[in-house]
Amino acid sequence: MVKRTTVIKNKTGLHARPASDFVQAASKFKSNISICRVGEEDDEVNAKSIIFLLSLGLCQGDEAVVSASGEDEQEAVDYLVELIESGFGE
Amino acid sequence: MRIYGGDPVSKGIAAGNVYKYVPYEADVEQNQISPDQAEEEVRNYRKAVAGAEAELASMREAFSREGSDQGAIIGAHMEILNDPALEEMVTGFIRAELHNVKWAIDRSFTKFIKMLSRVKDDMIRERIADMKDVRNRLLRNCDGVEERNLGALTKPVIVAAKDLFPSDTASLNRNMVKAIVTETGGATSHTAIIARSYEIPALLGVANVMELLEDGEWICVDAIDGILAADMDSEKIEEYREKAEKYRIKTLETKKYLKVMPVTLDGVPIDVELNIGSASEEELEAAAYTDGVGLFRSEFLYMGRDRLPSEEEQTEIYTRVLKAFGNRPVTLRTLDIGGDKNLDYMELPKEENPFLGNRALRLCFTYPDILKTQLRAALRAAVAGNLWVMFPMVGSMEDIRKAKALVKEAQSELTEEQFSYGEIKIGIMIEIPSIALIADMAVKEVDFASIGTNDLCQYTLAVDRMNPSVSKYYQKYHPAMFRLIGHIVKTFNDAGKPICVCGELGGDELGAAVLMGLGMRKLSMGQASVAQTKKMITKMTMQRAELIAETVCNLSTEEEIVNYLTEALADIL
Repeated sequence: MVKRTTVIKNKTGLHARPASDFVQAASKFKSNISICRVGEEDDEVNAKSIIFLLSLGLCQGDEAVVSASGEDEQEAVDYLVELIESGFGE
Repeated sequence: MRIYGGDPVSKGIAAGNVYKYVPYEADVEQNQISPDQAEEEVRNYRKAVAGAEAELASMREAFSREGSDQGAIIGAHMEILNDPALEEMVTGFIRAELHNVKWAIDRSFTKFIKMLSRVKDDMIRERIADMKDVRNRLLRNCDGVEERNLGALTKPVIVAAKDLFPSDTASLNRNMVKAIVTETGGATSHTAIIARSYEIPALLGVANVMELLEDGEWICVDAIDGILAADMDSEKIEEYREKAEKYRIKTLETKKYLKVMPVTLDGVPIDVELNIGSASEEELEAAAYTDGVGLFRSEFLYMGRDRLPSEEEQTEIYTRVLKAFGNRPVTLRTLDIGGDKNLDYMELPKEENPFLGNRALRLCFTYPDILKTQLRAALRAAVAGNLWVMFPMVGSMEDIRKAKALVKEAQSELTEEQFSYGEIKIGIMIEIPSIALIADMAVKEVDFASIGTNDLCQYTLAVDRMNPSVSKYYQKYHPAMFRLIGHIVKTFNDAGKPICVCGELGGDELGAAVLMGLGMRKLSMGQASVAQTKKMITKMTMQRAELIAETVCNLSTEEEIVNYLTEALADIL
């Protein structure tokens, strides 16, 4: 399993369109991918689910952990963390 | 007789039977199924998903056919429908807890909605509305019930609803809907826009309309004076019938003027330009018979979304409008928010007097990057046509100079980044009396100006135009308005620089003639007023208009002015 911690950069947080972008990106990988808020690892959710992702309510400045396990786990985590750090083009 | 009031957002009169439009509500009962039924129920679930997906796909197609940007809503619904967590939970409930399919769906959505309700964010609330919509769609598909939409109507009716959603209006059969009455929505709502483009009379914001009206009841919708009447006696019915007939004949007659050249009887051409609020096909079609865009409200680009529009996105849309109008001017008003207009994704502090507060250009000075992005996009798009950029809420010479400096900044940035950009004209909106009074100085700093009569009226008469308790003080025909406008027009005409009216008065039945008489040669208005204004122009002589304007400026009250104009223009109206 691969894990990386990151900080939400964009103003609107992981809501609305950035959330859709994230879920769409996650769904392209074969690995199981999860995301959670730092310190709330018990509440990690399926990163391919828009509903669960929105329920996390990740806002600008929040710290999050992206983890993946499967054949493309490294690429998946790197790609998704970069996507978050790019600020979703905002 | 019962009478109710509403906001007439799409003009006209219609009478007919009420069709109360209530979206389908499925009965959901909790039943235990036997283990050998589970796979059958899972198949039923998949069938419902496939059905829902097909409905959404055909709706998406309808939207793109109309060139509507409502497709995004469908995208959000698709996303929920295809969420792996939804599938997992529903099939889990069916297989492990032996729920019947509808109960499994309902319980899953209830859980998800509860989960989302804990998130404190406005945007999430919209997603909850989307979730409920998808849940209902799935449950209805489980029942094998076809979507009850407004496309399936078989006889002409008056549609009454709490609210109409884009998915409702997308499929609306325009030949079967005589009028629309809803509880919610205003002049800029989706329903209003659709109603106007289909020329269906619409009365929105009628309080409790669903409780007040009986299904099938015969009513009359007067979307000229904003009245809904029921239980009428035969005399009253006759009265409405006559009014409707008169209105129908008048509209037909006026329509003939839509495409004529706006030239007065004595040969003076008047530019009739268009106010547009989006770049929809419907709006751009009017390019064929207008002299340009006198007011391109750019707010739509910023509203109803979750983040600021990018420079690329703006460039593309401005280019589209410029191309539609060829070499005719397109006047882009820079972002005008604050006051009564807010953005979901920008938290603006609450103000005591928002109309006197940090709005429009002032707000853009607080967030110069937002304005700069818009200016860069405008400059880049300008290569495609004849672009005029106009700043709203200008009150002083400093405002003008500061705005112009930002244009310069944007230009040098673009040069440095090796983007090509086009020439633009720079102008101001005159809506604050202070700038009107120093028009002689302002005219030297700008290429053109346009008078925003709605705000000019509110600021000149000190009336908050959103406050109903002072609405009688909002007098658009106040003599001070015409004197002030006369002063501005003369100053700009003397300097040889274009001046236009793009407020409501520009396309006003009574006001347009006065403006011409004051020296205005450019009027800009919503598409709905074009025919009527052209009719006024082609039946007017300058001498007559000047006499009218002179008389109006010397009358002392609005009432006198309205009475005088109604009489003086009776042969044209």
